[in-house]
Amino acid sequence: MLFDKKVVLFDKNPSTKTEALTELADELYKVGAVTKEYAPAILKRESSFPTGLMTQTMGVAIPHCDPDKVIVPQIGFMRLKESITFHQMGDNTKIPVNMIFMLALKQSDSQLTMLQKLMALFQNQEAMNTLQSITSIDEFILVMKKNGIINLD
Amino acid sequence: MKTLMVVCGSGVATSTVVEGKIRDFLESKGVLDKVKLLKGNIAEQINNIDDYDAFVSTTVVPDDVKDKVISGLPLLTGMGADKVYDEILQKLDLN
Repeated sequence: MLFDKKVVLFDKNPSTKTEALTELADELYKVGAVTKEYAPAILKRESSFPTGLMTQTMGVAIPHCDPDKVIVPQIGFMRLKESITFHQMGDNTKIPVNMIFMLALKQSDSQLTMLQKLMALFQNQEAMNTLQSITSIDEFILVMKKNGIINLD
Repeated sequence: MKTLMVVCGSGVATSTVVEGKIRDFLESKGVLDKVKLLKGNIAEQINNIDDYDAFVSTTVVPDDVKDKVISGLPLLTGMGADKVYDEILQKLDLN
């Protein structure tokens, strides 16, 4: 399942976008979810196709890259202590980002529902508030289950 | 048959979400059978832009084609989605 490698990081304090993305990508590499080429590919993609999203609740980023660098589909999460500036997808405006969901996905169609639920999560004030205040990976997984991003078992 | 292309940077993540949203919308309008929905990445599709009746992108597009592109961003953030749907119907001549 998408968070079973438990790359869930709270209150990190990287000083730049690059630092944040590198740390999260390195964690995904360490747990065997992605290849060595994933981190540089993420950085390259973020600079040409930014992935920040200013949602109704807060700024989030969903960095991702081509599926060939992914070994096991997985999502890495990082909550930032202080917001970092990202560029917004589509219009390149600068936005403050508080949470990063780094997507390591294989082919897309099977993941459509999950991605839609993830976008819905960003628009759910209550759930986003919960994500701001939780302190454990178990609580995080519970929010993901409640919101249908991963299946209830 | 009208054609609508949805692109993002990789053709994997956000274009999939946006395509799904547009599919649901067209279905709710009862016009889904009139439209062929396609999905791709911007690098491959930007030069074919004129092949499609409507072109929706979640990522930045070059200035020279900007006017031909509908931004799919509101369908991801939920803010201003109605306007995007209107634009799509207009481009597809279905309004």
